[in-house]
Amino acid sequence: MNEYFVALILGVFFGFALNKAGLTRYTKIVNQFRLTDMAVLKFMMTALVVTMLGVYPLRALGLITFPTVPATYILGNVVGGLVFGVGMSLAGFCPGTCVAGAGEGKLDYIVPGLLGFLTGAILYGLTYQWVFPPIAKIANYGNVVIPDLWNVNPFLAVFVFAGMALVLFYLIDRMGMQRKHT
Amino acid sequence: MNWFINQVRKEEWSPYAAGALLGVVGILTVVLSNKLLGASGGFENIAGMFGKAISPASFNNTYFNFVMPAGVTYAVVLLIGIFFGGMLGAFSSGTFKFRTMDDAQWKTAYGSQPWKRWLMLFAGGIVLEYAAGIAGGCTSGLAISGGMLLAPAAFLFIAGMFASGILTALLVYGKRF
Repeated sequence: MNEYFVALILGVFFGFALNKAGLTRYTKIVNQFRLTDMAVLKFMMTALVVTMLGVYPLRALGLITFPTVPATYILGNVVGGLVFGVGMSLAGFCPGTCVAGAGEGKLDYIVPGLLGFLTGAILYGLTYQWVFPPIAKIANYGNVVIPDLWNVNPFLAVFVFAGMALVLFYLIDRMGMQRKHT
Repeated sequence: MNWFINQVRKEEWSPYAAGALLGVVGILTVVLSNKLLGASGGFENIAGMFGKAISPASFNNTYFNFVMPAGVTYAVVLLIGIFFGGMLGAFSSGTFKFRTMDDAQWKTAYGSQPWKRWLMLFAGGIVLEYAAGIAGGCTSGLAISGGMLLAPAAFLFIAGMFASGILTALLVYGKRF
């Protein structure tokens, strides 16, 4: 099957899921950070658990290999995340939800949103050689996954993570960890 | 069958259902393409394409030649798919409409002037894309795609993102937080 055709179809389902989860709205994103609506966390954690329950067994059966794992370089991952959180909380979107929201007809996502991401991409690409290598050198563990790094059984890691997610969901939904809307 | 169609048409799903759908998409991306989902990377490929068309010399660097090559890559096609997926979702619930300033809570937080929102989204886009570059990916390409493989990078990114995101919301909303 043509690689681009596969990408297109997978992208459609990805955008569809973002739309149905309501993540293409400012309110949904910012209320996660206000801790009054935990949908973003539930959405992300569910996706993580479902995928790892699929890919780890498939790899153990020898049916797939992992694609290049996102690299761990502690300072860059954390600082990038810190800056990213500020932007996401202020604007109420991220690259994926902006594109999906643009498809819904949101003109403020189509025009300033997409142009902002393109401008940021140009700025990053033109400054990459001075900015990235020094940051990526610090506490760099390479393209590693937790089971290999900590030398634990991958299935144990997956089940512990899934268990933690279920406990988190229980705390949010039953124990009222979610703050009340004001 | 009617029940199924009604569920698909609902404007908002349970985050668990939508998350499970994304999880299946994540598995299929690895199985069918041996790749990961992502969004910020595609913007880099498109930026390189525009840049090389306008000013080939300044965009002839390591980044746009090798790290995130300019051109229509897998990530770019994925972005096109995400766009049409959002559209499909909106059509399925009858909510597709060309519109701006459609978020009531935005107005209570920042006021109802459209230029403020447009400026904020433009500036926000720049900050988010640059931060994703430093971190090695965005919510899709790092948090979700890395997290599902249990990459420590993803959880470091998520921790940073939530810490500063909550603090920022606290500053923006103040007493209304």
